Amino acid sequence: MAKLRTEEFLVNMGPHHPSTHGVCRLVLTMDGEKVVHIEPVIGYLHRAIEKICENRTYPQCSPMMDRFEYVTAMASDHVYALAVEKLAGLEVPERAEYLRVIMVELNRIASHLIFWGVTAMDVGAYTPFLYGLREREDIIDLFEMTCGQRLTYNYIRIGGVSQDIPDEFVPKCREFMDKLWGKFADYEGLLNENPIWLVRTKGIGVLTAEKAIAFGASGPVLRASGVDYDVRRDDPYSIYDKFNFEIPTQKNGDSYDRFIQRIDEMKASLRIIEQALDNLPEGDIKCKVKPKFKPPAGEVYSRIESARGEMGVYIRSDGSTKPVRVKLRGSSYNHLRLVPEIATDVLIADLVTIFATLDIIMPEVDR
Amino acid sequence: MNPPVIAIGELHGVFKWLHELLVSIGLPEPLQNIVMYGALGVTVFSVLSLFALFLVWWERKIAAHIQQRFGPMRVGWHGWYQTVMDALKLLQKEDIRIETRDKIVFFWAPIVCFVAAFLAYVAMPFGRGLIVADLNIGILYIMAVTTFTVISLLMAGWGSNNKYALLGGMRSAAQVVSYEVPMVVSLLAVILYTGSLSMVDIVEAQSGWFNWFIFRVPFGPIAFVTYTIAAIAEANRTPFDIPEAEQELVAGYNIEYSGMKFAMFFLAEFVNMFTVSAIAATVFLGGWNGPWLPSWVWFLGKTLLMVFFLMLVRWTYPRLRVDQLMEFAWKFLVPVTFANLILAAILKHYGLYWE
Amino acid sequence: MNKDELKEKILKLSQGTMTPSESGVFDLMFDVKPSDLMKVALMLRDHENLKFDFLNNISGVDTGERFEVVYSLSSITFSLRLDFKVALPYDQAVIESTKEVWPAAEWHEREIWELFGIDIANHGDLNRFLLPDDWDQGYPMRKDWDAPDFIRMPQL
Repeated sequence: MAKLRTEEFLVNMGPHHPSTHGVCRLVLTMDGEKVVHIEPVIGYLHRAIEKICENRTYPQCSPMMDRFEYVTAMASDHVYALAVEKLAGLEVPERAEYLRVIMVELNRIASHLIFWGVTAMDVGAYTPFLYGLREREDIIDLFEMTCGQRLTYNYIRIGGVSQDIPDEFVPKCREFMDKLWGKFADYEGLLNENPIWLVRTKGIGVLTAEKAIAFGASGPVLRASGVDYDVRRDDPYSIYDKFNFEIPTQKNGDSYDRFIQRIDEMKASLRIIEQALDNLPEGDIKCKVKPKFKPPAGEVYSRIESARGEMGVYIRSDGSTKPVRVKLRGSSYNHLRLVPEIATDVLIADLVTIFATLDIIMPEVDR
Repeated sequence: MNPPVIAIGELHGVFKWLHELLVSIGLPEPLQNIVMYGALGVTVFSVLSLFALFLVWWERKIAAHIQQRFGPMRVGWHGWYQTVMDALKLLQKEDIRIETRDKIVFFWAPIVCFVAAFLAYVAMPFGRGLIVADLNIGILYIMAVTTFTVISLLMAGWGSNNKYALLGGMRSAAQVVSYEVPMVVSLLAVILYTGSLSMVDIVEAQSGWFNWFIFRVPFGPIAFVTYTIAAIAEANRTPFDIPEAEQELVAGYNIEYSGMKFAMFFLAEFVNMFTVSAIAATVFLGGWNGPWLPSWVWFLGKTLLMVFFLMLVRWTYPRLRVDQLMEFAWKFLVPVTFANLILAAILKHYGLYWE
Repeated sequence: MNKDELKEKILKLSQGTMTPSESGVFDLMFDVKPSDLMKVALMLRDHENLKFDFLNNISGVDTGERFEVVYSLSSITFSLRLDFKVALPYDQAVIESTKEVWPAAEWHEREIWELFGIDIANHGDLNRFLLPDDWDQGYPMRKDWDAPDFIRMPQL
């Protein structure tokens, strides 16, 4: 009997798909259930933010940064403000720095909650998504109380923050933190030891430390592969050197570790917020920025540790009111490059798991 | 001539009246039988369809409350007739048909699915005397007929002329066929004790207090657990819902169906879920046995309890990957159920069972 | 080591291929000639006291007079940071690919090729990335690029 011939076929995991977070197109070459070759096709969310920023003054660019990575919009604002302040040599008042840290850490927790819910949903457990979003609602309420916005805040501006927090913020924030501490037992009990979860994520998509560093992976992805590197501690910016926080790492670099890593990071963030709330000083929330803001000529690359990894902004100025070049570097850009590396020769279901645990957000990739 | 004895029990009066009416009109006997059985069929069909609608609503409410939200609230008190409205909406949707479909197969797949889902209720005991036909091969017939849905899955996958649908159809066919074996063998382990395959005899063997098969340790609970797992897989529910998972690439066999055809697949899934729960209630939980309340209330209550459990499992667990699913069936469930069967047979031979 | 020590060390090790530049405001900035790029990249990555194995960012810049490609690097093991840039005249906008040195460079260079038109030698995979597949309106990030719906805001 003749040997049956099998053919590889192309499948398009198209821009409209429930599990490609955002509009990402993956052209898969499949051999039956196995994925043999992946080619990401991006650009569906390209809004030319960098080109637009060349045409705007420095303060006018600030709201554009929210849209660069809208899930952690506070962090995006923060990195741009940091870069411009470095260029111009501005000194941000201490209260503003503390407020920035509180907001950025709250945003990190919100982003990790979404990650937790969406990853669980992609693997098949539908309920954690609703639980994660329920907790995130409290954080969003806190943000709305402060700056009036729920998603794109434009709160962290050049030289400080835009508004002071109202009186109800601190008690409500503490209440939220107590509630979230209590919920971790529930959340961990739901999935972490579940045999189905373990068999779906353990050993799937292993990323070695060398590969992670070589491909520019950062943040939770890097730390889950065992590399102990965090921009907040190793290249401190803002006032992170005043806080006492641990940086969790995991050992294996598989999907399970990436999942656990972000839950651990949520706990670390809660401790940072506690310390920040305890030591919040009084004072100005903004330093004096000239109306016609003209930083001196020069270039700077400034980076922060956002929820997804290292987010960077490169600004080149020539002394005028508009930047010559603003380059935005999102961590998901490098992580998406990792997908063809670690997700070949796996089954389709594993590709979905790997994509979800890398926590790739398309606005960071396409800008 | 003796009238055909159907619906002994609560419905006896109605059918006796109908029979008298037909005799008074002067219909010949074969036609009388046809009309009587036709009326019985319509009754069962309508009750089950209403149940399917109820189950859809119930699932949405349970899912919502597990997820800390309300579910349908606007359409009637707590949204009770939401499903009716959804069915009406699906009725008036455009029936999109692809040019390159396989016309006959594409047309008949949802019909086969829908009909196959209802065939099992010919031998299902809804209560004392409330059974359409007390076949002496009752449970065997039900097992055979629940496999018809596999044909409809393959037809749907093939007829859509879509490689996603074909892959999805083949995966679900493989899954259903693989989980048939542990399902049937777990039922066998307890049916050994009844001496008969008739559904009525199976329920009668569990009359009395704590006589249900689930309590007959050690093989009863094991059979119940393995049967439940296999039933969840048969009904294509999470954690075995690869065929209908949206997050997978292959969206499943019903991807190309719209409107009423899709509604038929959807309702057939819920009727299937009711079927496997009803079998569990009959074989393991004592069927219609129970004090004080009418027998059909007990049957319904036990079945709905099983359905509730299936729904809870769906909204809690993640799903298994396709190869893990098949591995679980063949490498774990099949050996366990066979061992259980042998254990039950040995215990029966040596008379070491609890009568 | 702090910034000055790092600067000394780099100047010593680079043997003239990297010259310090004044335009870096916060971190160290060096100028590198296009022909020395691979040598500098390998030295930075492999030297046992430097180990700049993490490529943060590659930006293309159109200053109005020339192109510049700015590389931002970090060392994970020693927690160091530096930048260097390669200046390219408009008529000779070719640069060698560093994707053998840092695999992360592959997509950054692809984007620079697509948006600026700087040719990348030895890359092997330059095709449409962020822009639509049928894009035929030039290189958008260049300063002299124009489009009917791109309105330049007035200088304030």
